[in-house]
Amino acid sequence: MFRPPGSARRAAVGAALAAVVLSAAACGGGATAQQTAEGNGSSFVSGTYATTVFRQGARPVAPQVTGTTLTGTRFLLSADRGAVVVLNFWGSWCSPCREEAPALGALARHFSGAGVRFVGVDIRDDTASAEAFMRTFRIGYPSLNDPSDAIALDFSGTVPPAGIPTTLVIDRSGRIAARIVGTASYDGLEALITSVEPA
Amino acid sequence: MTGLRIPPEAGPDERATEFADAAGPQVQAGARPAGRFGAAGWLRWGWRQLTSMRTALILLFLLAVGSVPGSLLPQEGSNPEAVAQYYTAHPRLAPILARFSLFDVFGAPWFAAIYLLLFLSLVGCVLPRTVRMVGSARQPPPRAPRHLARLPLSVSYRTDQPPEQALASAARLLSGKRFRVRAEADWVAAEKGYLREAGNLLFHIALLAVLVSIGLGGLYGYKANRLLVAGTSFSNTVTALDVFRPGRLVTPGDLQPFSLTLDRFSASYVTSGTLMGQPSAFNAALTYTSAPGGPSRRYLLTVNHPLVVDGVRVFLIGHGYAPEFRVTDGAGHVAFDGPVPFIPVETSGFTSEGAIKVPDASPQQLGFAGVFLPTTVDVGGRLASAFPAPLKPSVSLVSYAGNLGMNSATPQSVYTLDTAGLHQLAVAPRPLTAGQSIQLPGRLGTLTYLGYRQWISLAITYDPGQFPALVSGIAVLGGLLLSFMVRRRRVFVRARAGAAGETIIEVGGLSRSDAAGGFEDEFSSLATEIRGLSSPPAPPASPGRPEEHRGDHEPPEGE
Repeated sequence: MFRPPGSARRAAVGAALAAVVLSAAACGGGATAQQTAEGNGSSFVSGTYATTVFRQGARPVAPQVTGTTLTGTRFLLSADRGAVVVLNFWGSWCSPCREEAPALGALARHFSGAGVRFVGVDIRDDTASAEAFMRTFRIGYPSLNDPSDAIALDFSGTVPPAGIPTTLVIDRSGRIAARIVGTASYDGLEALITSVEPA
Repeated sequence: MTGLRIPPEAGPDERATEFADAAGPQVQAGARPAGRFGAAGWLRWGWRQLTSMRTALILLFLLAVGSVPGSLLPQEGSNPEAVAQYYTAHPRLAPILARFSLFDVFGAPWFAAIYLLLFLSLVGCVLPRTVRMVGSARQPPPRAPRHLARLPLSVSYRTDQPPEQALASAARLLSGKRFRVRAEADWVAAEKGYLREAGNLLFHIALLAVLVSIGLGGLYGYKANRLLVAGTSFSNTVTALDVFRPGRLVTPGDLQPFSLTLDRFSASYVTSGTLMGQPSAFNAALTYTSAPGGPSRRYLLTVNHPLVVDGVRVFLIGHGYAPEFRVTDGAGHVAFDGPVPFIPVETSGFTSEGAIKVPDASPQQLGFAGVFLPTTVDVGGRLASAFPAPLKPSVSLVSYAGNLGMNSATPQSVYTLDTAGLHQLAVAPRPLTAGQSIQLPGRLGTLTYLGYRQWISLAITYDPGQFPALVSGIAVLGGLLLSFMVRRRRVFVRARAGAAGETIIEVGGLSRSDAAGGFEDEFSSLATEIRGLSSPPAPPASPGRPEEHRGDHEPPEGE
């Protein structure tokens, strides 16, 4: 750590205040957390993570997402129209991503064959580390390789990922139904997916 | 306040024509017996203190003094790495400075307090002033004093022109010289220099506008930092930023959607003389697009020459080395392969430190604490860097295995290892040059040092208040100049019939004493012109200020 706990705590108070006004403050910290002590304070203080649910009819259309997976396959989000897509922005270096990874892996297995597709977007990472991460957490679903955050930028006009990790639930018609900023829990995400797609 | 107060009704009292200070009535109110001060009284007293010129000046001074540490000390917002360095260099002083928010001056509570008090003080001063100014601008000049000879400047003479005619022509003359004129039966009062008050007001309002502009930037602007390794790209979106400080009303969707690639970075250093090792040039070759799918443009980013995209300014604020490593774990998988930004800890040799974390190595997590030396030299058995350029780069590592502590949400710095759950591995401490590897004991894996890349750190700032602040800053100066250069001045003319049937004319004038001189000349030429309108039959009855015109003793016949 660069800084003593006292100042980090004080920075945390300020950041928490900003986070109340704007979830983005906390989010920037998601990436920040890995970089500076300042970020340590700002991202994970409150422990309450923002979940936004969009009503049917008020769901923004997800942007066109294309990319290459870590294994080199072309990917087109619109090709998954007709299935619910869970899009998870992550990085192998990101502690909260590592924390939520077991839940995501298990949920992907739980919903397999139920018309729900899990797709990761691996940001600011090297391919070797990302693949090692997927081995560690036995992640079976593919991830897009996005070292430059280009896919995150595609979402900036609709529901931007406001931190790492961010999980988006996209409904059958390609509209964004929910966003979780921060660590997703098994129960929380399962409930969201089920509410989007009644069994 | 230095304002002019024009009494609403001048009355016969000559004092009415004197410029009264606005503090007058305040002093009266303040002179009430102290024992009678109720809560309302104290409030009123406090408000008067706050809105006084003195308080505003003190606050303005404090604001200026308060921003000094912002330029002397590294700031979190603009250069977090330098702040971190400061902490390592001054471990005892830094926490004390941080307690007073000196690493984030412009976000400090005390700075906000000064700012808000100044704002309040100015509002409290400008509002009543505007009302008074509008009132005084509408008011006709005050009545002429009875004895013009008592005014600072006066002259009197006799003429055979009838009083009414003399007054009427004097009024016409003054009016023609853009005086505001009030003409009555036996006197004329004229006033000029209302622009002084307007300038004064402009100054205050513009000062207010400067503060509002800064506030605007605080609400709708944002600051961000990003470290970018050569050959990589980033997009201006929240997840891609290392530090993001949004204004209160900024949402992640508001960020301008540009992307930027660092193609090449080069730093040049002085290679000889006393300045040896000092940087001489930094050049970062960038390719950017202002929106996804837009055309790519190139830009050569240098220090103090920011890239401006879509109103956002991108500054080059730092640089460093990112050694590249490949780690193969005990199971034979490549578990890490990429550049790792190291942070410079000193500038003369650019010795840099960093950490390599391999959380997904099998069977155990691996960590390495490293020191990168751009120009490696052996100083009495100790390795050091003699020059900031990469003339003989090497990296020395201390290897660890165990638990990196990364699988919980507790965040940690990427630049340092948390060694609490780690144990050090017995590896001979040998500096690695590009292509060399270390074999970890216990079949934990291999690390190879592949070479290095360079990185730059960018400060991204968006401040919509910047242009309004510039405009209002210019207006502040304009208002100040106007209020310094324009004098508020009054000229009075009285005419009465003398005992011998002649007309006695008195001209008097006064101006604020603190203003720049020149009124004396203006008055004397005015008086001469007024006098020139009529014909003096006799020498002046009562000498006022000596006049230097003697050529007009012959009565002009054509009048």
